Amino acid sequence: MSAVMPVFRRSIRESWRGLIGWSLGIAAVLFLYLPLYPSFGANGQLDSVIKALPKQLVDTIGYDQIATGAGYAQSTFFGLMGFLLFTIAAVLWGSSAIAGAEESGRLELDLAHGIGRAQYAAESALAVLVRLLWLGAFSGAVVLALNDPAELGIHPPHIVGASLALTGLAFLSAMAGLLAGALTGRKAWATGVAAAVAVLGYVFQALAKQSDDLEWLNALSPYAWVYQQPPLKEGVEVGGLLLVWGIAIVLALASALALSRRDLRG
Amino acid sequence: MSSAIDITALHKRYGHRTAVHDLDLHVQPGTIYGLIGPNGAGKTTTLRTLVDIIRPTSGQVRVLGEDPRHGGARLRRRIGFVPGELRLEGRVTGHRMLSFYAETSGPVSRGYTSELAERLGVDLSRPVRSLSKGNKQKVGLIQAFMHRPELLILDEPTSGLDPLVQREFLAMLREARDAGQTVLLSSHVLSEIQQAADEVAVLAAGRIVAQGDVASLRLGSVRRVRVALDAHDPDALHRRFTGIPGVTELEVTPHGEALQLAATVEGGIDPFVKALAQETVHDLTIEEPDLEESVLRLYGPAADHEGGAR
Repeated sequence: MSAVMPVFRRSIRESWRGLIGWSLGIAAVLFLYLPLYPSFGANGQLDSVIKALPKQLVDTIGYDQIATGAGYAQSTFFGLMGFLLFTIAAVLWGSSAIAGAEESGRLELDLAHGIGRAQYAAESALAVLVRLLWLGAFSGAVVLALNDPAELGIHPPHIVGASLALTGLAFLSAMAGLLAGALTGRKAWATGVAAAVAVLGYVFQALAKQSDDLEWLNALSPYAWVYQQPPLKEGVEVGGLLLVWGIAIVLALASALALSRRDLRG
Repeated sequence: MSSAIDITALHKRYGHRTAVHDLDLHVQPGTIYGLIGPNGAGKTTTLRTLVDIIRPTSGQVRVLGEDPRHGGARLRRRIGFVPGELRLEGRVTGHRMLSFYAETSGPVSRGYTSELAERLGVDLSRPVRSLSKGNKQKVGLIQAFMHRPELLILDEPTSGLDPLVQREFLAMLREARDAGQTVLLSSHVLSEIQQAADEVAVLAAGRIVAQGDVASLRLGSVRRVRVALDAHDPDALHRRFTGIPGVTELEVTPHGEALQLAATVEGGIDPFVKALAQETVHDLTIEEPDLEESVLRLYGPAADHEGGAR
């Protein structure tokens, strides 16, 4: 009687244009950074610049590995610019899915129709996931395409692992935002929580690098779970990857439960 | 035949504030039921519990024989709902938006959406967010009516509509009733309810203060009257009208050459009109006071509770 996954299909229909924009932005970053590697990183030029920088700064922004192709791609894209762009997308999408719809009044109208609450949350989560997976696959494909021309020398399966790690980090942020939205109905909370998960994860691992006394902070950092063992160089750490994705999925399920249990805001 | 809506002892609290207090409401199938009351009386809260947007603090709610919470999406497909504060902000067109709701709550008969749009006079090819408030409200009405639901729950459905469209809407309501659909609508405009509803409940401060058919509620019986008439002696005029039953708040003021008389008339207006007929009347306005004033006057703490009160 009712169509299959209407909310999911509507989200995708309404966001594919934006998704093209995001893809172009990510492609621009990759095409800007990666082709510079042969002239910068490979001939040791960049290495000498890095050596002149304070060690703490280099550790913090993850430039300690920058002299190899894998380290360069990790430091510039997966660990920094890509992480930033994916996180922004995740925060925006995760906070608008439930909290944004509720604040705009759309959720009330939607849920007065033949749509279940848990169904709404689940389909919204899936729509965010599919978009992030697209960005991950697209980024991975671009890196793979540039692997030889930019002389990065990354073992191709490691690109898959790193893309899954990056996508997983973004998905985790988005689902934290989704849950905050499902609990409170406030976009400010959803945005704040989603961003906090990403920022704290980054800050904790950066601090952990500074001293052995702070290394325990890595245990609190999803960023460290998937990136501490360099995914492009040594392959992604499967345990950390599963942990990130597992928590994200649990958060998505919790969102469905949370939305089912409360009054909508008027 | 069982009721279309059965509400028993409904309470809704938000923190310390009680929005709805011990509310009982029963709507028979195939009737139009009006819920009136000043803003903040608890109308919206009551209507939202019927579609499971909010949940009762205590009490029982049955809609089409089911608890809204357990009936879920399946039950809501049998209902058409217009929210009290309709906001449409999407970039999508009216057509797109309505076809989404047709997917979730349909089926919608072919061409019916366009027919309704034409009837109400709204362009569905425009993005909904670019529509005026009145036109958004029309889209809101269409999404509630288009799948011909058994039950229509309409929260202030005519807000923002111009009088011609309001008339069309009232016709749609009657057609719905004739087709066997049940309607529960709220309003803070008395005349609208008087024209449409078979039965009425008056809400004030979260409680039902009166319930019954429209005529028995006496709500229309309070009128504000303003007259400009040919007379020179304000005191004599004042004395003459003071004696008339039901006339209160009498004021006589000079108005150019003539005198202006303002008063509130409660109950039958005939004695007042008869007294007026002895003068030369230049101008006469009779208006119904706002609902808040009527409700307070008739059912407030100071009022007696004979007649329309339950």
